[in-house]
Amino acid sequence: MSASADRPEIEVEDLVVAFGDKVVLDGVSFAVKQGEIFVILGGSGSGKTTLLRNLVGLMQPRSGRILIQGEDFTAMSESERVDFRRRMGMCFQSAALLGSMSLADNVALPLREHTRLEESTIDIMTRIKLELVGLSGYEDYLPAELSGGMRKRAGIARAMAMDPELIFYDEPSAGLDPIVAAGIDDLIRTMRSTFNLTSVVVTHEMESVRLIADTVCVLHRGQVAGIGTLDELERSDHPYIQQFFERRPDEPGTDDEAWARALTGAG
Amino acid sequence: MTGELVGRVGRWALDQLAAALRVSVLMVDTVTWLVVAPLRGRGFRWRSAVRHVVEYGLRSLPIVGMICFLVGVIIALQASYTLEQWGANRFIADLVAVSALRELASLMTAVIIAGRCGSAITAEIGTMEVNEEIDALEVMGVNPIKYLVAPKFLAMVIAVPAVTALAMLIMIVGGWVSAVLIVGVETEIYLEQTVNAIVVKDLVNGMVKSLFFGLVIAWVGAYRGFQVSGGAEGVGRMTTSSVVTSIFLIIVVDLVFTVLFYFL
Repeated sequence: MSASADRPEIEVEDLVVAFGDKVVLDGVSFAVKQGEIFVILGGSGSGKTTLLRNLVGLMQPRSGRILIQGEDFTAMSESERVDFRRRMGMCFQSAALLGSMSLADNVALPLREHTRLEESTIDIMTRIKLELVGLSGYEDYLPAELSGGMRKRAGIARAMAMDPELIFYDEPSAGLDPIVAAGIDDLIRTMRSTFNLTSVVVTHEMESVRLIADTVCVLHRGQVAGIGTLDELERSDHPYIQQFFERRPDEPGTDDEAWARALTGAG
Repeated sequence: MTGELVGRVGRWALDQLAAALRVSVLMVDTVTWLVVAPLRGRGFRWRSAVRHVVEYGLRSLPIVGMICFLVGVIIALQASYTLEQWGANRFIADLVAVSALRELASLMTAVIIAGRCGSAITAEIGTMEVNEEIDALEVMGVNPIKYLVAPKFLAMVIAVPAVTALAMLIMIVGGWVSAVLIVGVETEIYLEQTVNAIVVKDLVNGMVKSLFFGLVIAWVGAYRGFQVSGGAEGVGRMTTSSVVTSIFLIIVVDLVFTVLFYFL
């Protein structure tokens, strides 16, 4: 094995993210190995979505570094980052398909913007990607005409359009019924095994963590409460991890909700 | 007490400064993606621009035409109210022509297009912001300014002056209809007076203003759209704000150019 194969695909070093005075992520560090499904688990207001937004460069951290494939993603200029992002795909919580375009046009958008391929080639590639997620035949549908699960699948197809090496999922099974959610979990695993994709999944659903996770990182109040395989974490004596895994409500008097309110600025 | 006041004023000033900075960035980005980027082969969405010219221009014509016709009728009658006393009804034509060219055609057009298209720009971009679609564009490496704003901007800068030119004509026709049918001025005299009253400078005045009205509508619409946060309610709030801000700035720009042309 070459040296680069041992190198983690994503390395996050001492990441600090803050909105004004509110520190949302406080010294987060972890590493994601090539080809694994890395789940970031946490409750509301734990900072997990903020972490994901930093990983894909939608936000800049206050300090700390994110190395992706050994390159310092946080230090790149805007145009370098735009180029670099072609190696990355992202699926949004709401799928974030462009509502004014058909599914095929949505999937074709990155290809049309970044390549000079013939329209006929793009058409074929689009069909392949939609087939991949089980949506062949829906090319001409508008996002609004599809169910939530189908939109999520289409979002995955779009994320796969440029054949990325890394893929990020924001709450992939949120808001879906258990059967559809299990289908998305299946798809996440299939994508990984077929394309050897490094996958980062942000979620709060224990069910889907059990199905897909190779490594789990539990975030609590902007800090890493624990990292390991699911088995390792289940044996952890960290009170928050135990509480989360056992799905116990907060004891009266704990201030988790106050923390979430302070972060979101509500109340 | 004093300290608190100073603090508030300071914070307000900083907020305004930050807003001014964001507006400037939006302006520079728009011009970059409209002028510089296409020259470097980074593309421009011509088809989207054409579609928006149709939407902002052609589709605005019926309502703009109707309103400007009626305004023409109204000014002619109002002018007659005073001019009749001096037996100077033939000068209705002058008044209508000069008002239409210098002021009213461009103003009415801009206000209507701000209401029906500036609001639509804000609502579209705002909804996309709420649905994470703007984030999705950025992650895909598609610049939202290039993709969404630049084509609309170009379309607006073409559509507003084009519609204004027609609005000028329609307003003069409206004045003619009421002057001839209601006041009883002869058509020949009306036409003669109109032709004599029209000077190139007035036309330039109106057209230059309408170009800047177009800029204002597109920028305010886009800026308010990107400001949206907090779901459907936020989209509604910013859409309202977009129209109000546009109309206010249109009047300010109007004032500036009127003063400028007054001294020219």
